[in-house]
Amino acid sequence: MTIDIDDDQIEIIQEFITESRDMIEQLEPQIIELGQNTDPETINAIFRLFHSMKGSAGFLEFDHLTRVAHAAENLLDLIRNGEITLIPNHVNLLCAACDFAKEALEMVESNYTDEEMVAPADVMAEQLHQAIELAKNADDGTQDDPPEIDQTVDLGASAELPQIEINDEMRQSFVTEGVELLQNAEQGLLAWGDNSNDPEALADLFRNMHSFKGNCGFFGFSEMEKLAHQMETVLDRVKSGSPLAVENPADTLLAALDLLQNAVAELSEGREGTIPEIEEHLDQLQRLLPQRIGEILVEAGIHPAHVEAALQTQSKPVGEILIEQGKATPEQVSTAALKQKAAQEEQKKQITLPAKKAAARANKQDIRVDLGKLDSLINLIGEMVIAENMLINNPDLKGMELENFNKAGQHMSKLVRELQEMAMTIRMIPVAGLFRRMIRLVHDISAKAGKKVDLVLLGEETEIDKTVIETITDPLVHLLRNSLDHGLEPPEERIAAGKDEKGTVTLSARHEEGEVWVTVKDNGRGLNRERILEKAISKGLIEGDGSDLSDKEIYNMIFLPGFSTAAQVTDISGRGVGMDVVKKNLEKIKGKINVSSTPGEGSRIDLRIPLTLAIIDGMLVRVGETMAILPTLSILEAFRPEKEQITRTPEGDELVRVREDFFHIIRLHEVLEKEPDSTELTDGILIVLEHQEDRFCLCVDEIVGQQQTVIKGLSDFIGNVSGVSGCTILGDGGVCLILDIGGLRESIEGKNSKQVTAA
Amino acid sequence: MSGNSNSVKTVVEEFENEDTQKDKYLTFHLAGEDYGIEIRFVTEIIGIQQITEVPDMPTFIRGVINLRGKVIPVMDVRARFKLEARDYDDRTCIIVVNIDGTEVGLVVDEVSEVASIPEKNVEPPPRTGNSTGNLCIQGMGKIDEEVKILLNVQELLFNEEMQKLIGDMTEDQE
Repeated sequence: MTIDIDDDQIEIIQEFITESRDMIEQLEPQIIELGQNTDPETINAIFRLFHSMKGSAGFLEFDHLTRVAHAAENLLDLIRNGEITLIPNHVNLLCAACDFAKEALEMVESNYTDEEMVAPADVMAEQLHQAIELAKNADDGTQDDPPEIDQTVDLGASAELPQIEINDEMRQSFVTEGVELLQNAEQGLLAWGDNSNDPEALADLFRNMHSFKGNCGFFGFSEMEKLAHQMETVLDRVKSGSPLAVENPADTLLAALDLLQNAVAELSEGREGTIPEIEEHLDQLQRLLPQRIGEILVEAGIHPAHVEAALQTQSKPVGEILIEQGKATPEQVSTAALKQKAAQEEQKKQITLPAKKAAARANKQDIRVDLGKLDSLINLIGEMVIAENMLINNPDLKGMELENFNKAGQHMSKLVRELQEMAMTIRMIPVAGLFRRMIRLVHDISAKAGKKVDLVLLGEETEIDKTVIETITDPLVHLLRNSLDHGLEPPEERIAAGKDEKGTVTLSARHEEGEVWVTVKDNGRGLNRERILEKAISKGLIEGDGSDLSDKEIYNMIFLPGFSTAAQVTDISGRGVGMDVVKKNLEKIKGKINVSSTPGEGSRIDLRIPLTLAIIDGMLVRVGETMAILPTLSILEAFRPEKEQITRTPEGDELVRVREDFFHIIRLHEVLEKEPDSTELTDGILIVLEHQEDRFCLCVDEIVGQQQTVIKGLSDFIGNVSGVSGCTILGDGGVCLILDIGGLRESIEGKNSKQVTAA
Repeated sequence: MSGNSNSVKTVVEEFENEDTQKDKYLTFHLAGEDYGIEIRFVTEIIGIQQITEVPDMPTFIRGVINLRGKVIPVMDVRARFKLEARDYDDRTCIIVVNIDGTEVGLVVDEVSEVASIPEKNVEPPPRTGNSTGNLCIQGMGKIDEEVKILLNVQELLFNEEMQKLIGDMTEDQE
């Protein structure tokens, strides 16, 4: 198994790894749910997932993985049958089993074998067995284990996590996966029809049906499950080498497969996935299984026990043995044999009845694509947007009457825009997967830290670029750890402070001003300004007593490497590394972090992530001879100011009154150090910009127009430039800076503070 | 102008094709002196073109240009050596160099030729100066009676002092 692995097998193994990882991901939240809620459905679901994993691993001969999955399955089986009671230890064990499986999968991924996992597998399996023994004894004997029961209650309370029920999204993923499995099965069947002796193909087919059945069971689609189960039985019979009633059962199986595909298609349209006349189809499949001669003999009046005995010594046909033993007359047997033959003939006829062809196919399909290919596609589209701009706004065309060209150009622009939007959505995936992973984390940490926590997930359907999700996984882990370990108080302290003893941590995602905001919020004690300040002073990070620093500046210090106010380093946090990771990773994706906190009421950290990393809608503005781009999303309005609207404060700040509000004015020519057309504000255009809750005005000479802007980074050689988020290439081939609204805003703050210090 | 740069480009390519870039230097004029840089760093030579200024940069970083869809920063070598500024004309060239994937354009007065200077003809840099420029000098190359100042591109782009300069600028803004 380990030495010669051909490409096909590698492919199967890789598929197995991917599937199993998905499964584990589903498993974890479910297991944790067990901690608080032992309803049979959940246990069944977990049982099935372990079962599927065991099946697949067994097929691929990953014995150690199989062993552990089997042990876990045993444990669950006993719990399911009510033979033992679930204790928190079981939940932890099952979690550990998941961890083991993950590790084993990694091993398998690199070495195509799980041989090296033998020791941990032994330990894991042993632990599970012990747990089973222990629980059995405990349940058999007296309930001599009150502390553990206490713990059950405790954990149940502390691990109260969001209910996981089957929602549309899960249903959708069932459909996607189901369609894939059924299609694989269909191909397998078709290939099998041509060459029925290929055990590999058969095994693959069997596995597909088995997984599908498992999925159906998990989602509670009993009719589909029944049919799939029956198909599996037939395939199993073939696999074990017994002949079927007909030479080629593929047609019947295909017919059944079509039914399943129809049902899945129905599901994808939001209807119930029912199978009409299921009994009949089950019968048809049943007919594929040849009645064993013994069964016919029993029907003919031979005592079942005798047949059974004969079967056990079976080396010759059952009939002969029975005759030898004098338990049946030769006539009886030969009649039975004839009957068997006749029955087979008849079944052949019945079975070849044309099955109804599937009319509706499932309408959702997906393929897995290498991320590198996607990236180069998106880059190419970016280049195309630039090329399109260069073409349509070509300076050679200026002043020409080109009615047809313009029409064609507009059409092209529209198509390019659509193409670009499409390309951007390809990379987007919902954050649900990421959030669900945190359930486990919160469960583990809260147990370890002895705190009671409610984790609330909001906006799971929000879609973010896949790379971004990968980049913010670690930061989220660190932020949650911090909230749980430092933010939330222990239950006693919470009660003393008049709060609910159970803390709440909210993890949410939403779209906001063209960005995605991922927020971690807790209702704990909040950040301690004094402690942070004290630490910062003792580390020499700030000069003076820091009384002139704003809350925001102080809170931002927690992101400095090595900064930790924790009195002691626990195994959860306290080394001061985590927040640094958060900051670094966010910088990588040009994201920003907002920290806000109210003492005694909790803290909140927003991760603000740009929606797309590549293209924005931009407004081209001009100052003198220089062009710059503003993100259209930040623009509220633009107008030419009247003299009466403008006020100059004694500090030299310029303010403009827009209806009831006064806004600061920033002159773009000052930021860029350029010569404007005119320094009179009334000759220019004021653009009202919004950055977070802040609004201010930017004065430019002219608004040139709106265009799709492909963001290009300024070279690494230059590094970050404040007030500039990147650059793009204009239609004439020139490079144009993209202004960073937040940076501009900070630049006035900077200017003000400088003026203050100068004064 | 473009004719000039093209011809130099073909010369560069020729040498690259010979698969030996050792001891080959691209030489250029700057404020009356001849300089040379190792040919292996040079990707291409283009005429001067529209440069977009970037705010808050040291004076010798002139801005960025569009090189067939790539945005690369441009350094004025005169300004880098604190030489007297001079208006760009049609002989001004941008030498695009690439060091470990970082592409930077160098503005020089005029590109002359690709010269072969064997190692034995290269003298170590004079040890007198304490100016910043000295660090960037790799050696003095002799071709007959002429002397070429051979620049160390790595130092020119990345030497500590300059990193500090840029660093200061960015910190200032924060």
